[in-house]
Amino acid sequence: MKQYSAVWEAVIGLEIHAELNTKSKLFSVAPNRFGDEPNTNITEVCTGQPGALPVLNKEAVLKAVQFGCAINANISRFSTFDRKSYFYPDSPRNFQITQYDEPIIRGGTVIAEVDGKEMGFAVNRVHLEDDAGMLKHFPTFAGVDYNRAGVPLIEIVSEPCIHSGKEASAYALAVKAILQYIDASDCNMEEGSLRVDVNVSVRPKGTNELRSKIEIKNMNSFSFMEMAIEAEIKRQIHEYERNPDLLPHLIIQQATFRWDVEKKETVMMRSKEMAADYRYFPEPDLVPIVLSENYIEEIAKSLPELPLQRERRYVKEFGLTPHNAFLLVSDKKIADYFEEALLLYNQPRLLCTWITVEFAGRLKETGKNIIDYGISSVHLANLVKMIDRGVITGRIAKTVADDMMLHPDKNPELIVAENPDYSPVHDEGEIETLVDQVLAANPQSIADFKAGRDKAFAFLVGQVMKLSRGKASPGVVNDLLKRKILG
Amino acid sequence: MEQPGLKPLMGTMANLTKQTIQNLIKLSCIECSEEEQERLLIDLGKIISYFEMLDAIDTENVAPCNHVLASVVNVEREDKTGKTLSRDSFLSNAPSQIGGLIRVPPVIKNS
Amino acid sequence: MSEIYNLSAIEIRDRFLKGSISAVSIVETFLKRIEKYDSKIGAFLKVFPERALSQAKKLDERLKGGEKLGKLAGIPIAFKDNIHVKGEISTCASKFLTNYKAPFDATVTELIEAEDAIIIGKTNMDEFAMGSSTENSALQKTCNPWDLSCTPGGSSGGSAAAVAARLCPLALGSDTGGSVRLPASFCGIVGFKPTYGRVSRFGLVAYGSSLDQIGPLATTTADAALLMEVIGKHCPRDSTSFDEPQEAYLDKINNRPEGLTIGVPWQFLEELAPEPKQIFNQALETLRTLGAKIVDVDLHILKHSIAVYYILATAEASTNLARFDGIRYGVRSSKAKTLDEVYRYSKEEGFGPEVKRRILLGTYVLSAGYKDAYYKKAQKVRSLMIKSYEKTFTQCDLVATPVSPFTAFEIGAIKDPLQMYLEDIYTIGINLAGLPAISVPEGFAKDGKPLGLQLIGPQKGDALVLAAAHLYEKQSKYNLAIPTFVK
Repeated sequence: MKQYSAVWEAVIGLEIHAELNTKSKLFSVAPNRFGDEPNTNITEVCTGQPGALPVLNKEAVLKAVQFGCAINANISRFSTFDRKSYFYPDSPRNFQITQYDEPIIRGGTVIAEVDGKEMGFAVNRVHLEDDAGMLKHFPTFAGVDYNRAGVPLIEIVSEPCIHSGKEASAYALAVKAILQYIDASDCNMEEGSLRVDVNVSVRPKGTNELRSKIEIKNMNSFSFMEMAIEAEIKRQIHEYERNPDLLPHLIIQQATFRWDVEKKETVMMRSKEMAADYRYFPEPDLVPIVLSENYIEEIAKSLPELPLQRERRYVKEFGLTPHNAFLLVSDKKIADYFEEALLLYNQPRLLCTWITVEFAGRLKETGKNIIDYGISSVHLANLVKMIDRGVITGRIAKTVADDMMLHPDKNPELIVAENPDYSPVHDEGEIETLVDQVLAANPQSIADFKAGRDKAFAFLVGQVMKLSRGKASPGVVNDLLKRKILG
Repeated sequence: MEQPGLKPLMGTMANLTKQTIQNLIKLSCIECSEEEQERLLIDLGKIISYFEMLDAIDTENVAPCNHVLASVVNVEREDKTGKTLSRDSFLSNAPSQIGGLIRVPPVIKNS
Repeated sequence: MSEIYNLSAIEIRDRFLKGSISAVSIVETFLKRIEKYDSKIGAFLKVFPERALSQAKKLDERLKGGEKLGKLAGIPIAFKDNIHVKGEISTCASKFLTNYKAPFDATVTELIEAEDAIIIGKTNMDEFAMGSSTENSALQKTCNPWDLSCTPGGSSGGSAAAVAARLCPLALGSDTGGSVRLPASFCGIVGFKPTYGRVSRFGLVAYGSSLDQIGPLATTTADAALLMEVIGKHCPRDSTSFDEPQEAYLDKINNRPEGLTIGVPWQFLEELAPEPKQIFNQALETLRTLGAKIVDVDLHILKHSIAVYYILATAEASTNLARFDGIRYGVRSSKAKTLDEVYRYSKEEGFGPEVKRRILLGTYVLSAGYKDAYYKKAQKVRSLMIKSYEKTFTQCDLVATPVSPFTAFEIGAIKDPLQMYLEDIYTIGINLAGLPAISVPEGFAKDGKPLGLQLIGPQKGDALVLAAAHLYEKQSKYNLAIPTFVK
């Protein structure tokens, strides 16, 4: 557990809303699509016309149950819907249809990777509800678009069992991965199909109390979420520490904050002096969902390989470290990409490094991943093949990678072929000159190596590579050095 | 059918206060004048007092009735898109619209 | 042919199909009668002369062309103004919706037009169906054709008055606590409320979602049965509609029910005044001569039905009417400057006092701290009422009561809201249990105003209720009487 101080520990809960990627909305037959002209994906149901009635989309139920099975949760045999009343222009009826009393999923565990190790996080419940429309703010008015109103959501509520921003990130990433693997959601935080709200409180270490929590909304990336959580924890600790004589509930009062991206701090949206009274009661227009054992079994049986299973497979079959394996599997598209490349050239660890370290680093600023950027798995496999077979040196490979970033659709084999500079120099004569230079300049290393220190040899190799600007064939360098030193 | 010893859960007319009325008005977003509020205090008070007769009924082990046709369950539809409401039709009833959006006074950013 | 208005709907249809009278002629007759009498009665909020005549003309052509026409061919029918006819305004007798054009047809509208009935207009009602006298209409007054100083009952008063005055042979109303049966009783006609879920609520502006049903108002039980054949159908757009085949009610009403046992809850009726008691007893005597056995049954729990109803119906209504906020449709207050004011002022100006009362009451019974005591309690007592009826129907086939403790009261006579609620004492329990029930004329009081006999069946016992009522009606013939004013 992260040490904030000897005295305090953080208590965090996450509420994740994921839009299900069904074809039609939850209770209305309007298309479930993002990005269309405002108010063109609507029916009488999702615009709250008087006389309209909701009818449940069976695919939404299926996806919720799939998620429940994926986290080994308790699938409710009997669940119902409730009305949740509040007034806001993006709500077509001024009540949301949700599941309050009897949600479809209870309990469950999400296993995530924290610092290279598996960590289990408890889920409290998962339920279905319909999304609100979108409010667009302008200086002198606001406009409402109901395209999103009625889109099916599952709300995944964790237990307050998370204790740091890093854990929160790991948990959220694991949830996102599961949703992706069962194809339940597009999980796109920018488009709003994945939304995370966090509840943060702190307490004296070793106690069980739950102090006032601050809700933080409006974080549209996991890294911002981590930042916001850490900032808020620090803030709360600071407040408690500088007010030692006040009662805790007077120091931090329940409120909702939003994350300000520019200021990189949490800003209060509203305080909770008047907790909303949602007046939940059973939705009379919808009848209960009764699930049979058969139905649940079928779904559990036909689940695809889940992220955790895939990660464990990578560790076992390919010898990847858990951390690296998690990095790959956390985005199904990347894991699929990895396996595509693997079929073309079977060097999993090298492929992994190039995806998760080398290219990931180069892609960071672009905001895209290797697939969206346009570097195909074929080309990646080719690059790795060339490195592995010594066609290019490791150093030159980095330059080739840079070139691939400039020309993503170009085959690295072609890049190398067009650049004689990239091909390693095998000419013994040329290399011998450099080897002699290095040996002359480093007598101590020679002595060290003869005394048994292999590191000294690697150093000498490195020096030759440096002199040759990375172009000398490592094989030739190795041979020459050995011959010259050992005779 | 009086049940001896049953504690009445409901309030009497005395429990309904001006504050309660104002809270209800706030929750339901309806503007009511002072006189209306006075009137409501009386009318609603009488009606709520009338509800007290339910206190006398023993419902200790009774399940609530949420649906009058208990046999109707699992009503679902296929995940298919269907007939939509045209934007023109939707907006033709709108009190105010702009650029295809329903227009409302500016809103403080709230989630 | 000037007496066509005296004919039943079936007789009108049959004459039209035989060719004895044209559809245009039928519509013209009724339009003339509306013009002559409705200024005094005020049954119609809107008449559709062009639409009706145009449909009539088309029907005449189709008949001439030898086409097979629908079950309701040529019959003019009026709709209560909370049932959507696409393109026409549904006001629900509220100032809020005076400009609201229904963007879709109710399911019943589609079904009825598919059988070639002619919708002749929309009728007055209590605002949003909240009321027992139609006095809560924000738009106009409706008078009882039997005594113009009296109410026609409510909330389907306009439809009942229109049929009673022979301004149209058939009408649709909606019944949440007696709103079809009570006006039928006050106006001396037949009014039927189907089993909950028999008729689709799609396109009916919701008041009490778990209680509402659309039902026919007619001058004969056969006409009501015919209309029920058409509208009594499962609807996939209404999740609460039950999935069973349509019934041939018209055929079945001629199945004379042999050895009928009719239960009368005498204890529950003990406060009935002498005159209505005597007329009710006469009706029971008629039933005896028709072969029915009358037994005493225990339904004393129904004494609590008004309390239960006004907790549950207002709770549902408070959320059903939340959507009327001046945002997407309806009349937005012109003096509203902020969003909050749009809500508050639009509702203030749009809703009448009874509607406001019920919304606030509904909000109260659901609010934090009160929900258990009121809403949940009422839901439990409702269960007990259902059980009580179930037990009763093991002792008898049908239950009989008067529809109302008295005849139509004077307009303005009842000012106390609670007193008005108590009018529904005999009808309200039926909606709580979802049972089918009919009001059929049983005689006249000394004041010349009609009274109705209520026959109640078990869930899905609609055919039996209609058959028993038909048997009684053939014998008693009170439905044939016409108010002097419109003879």
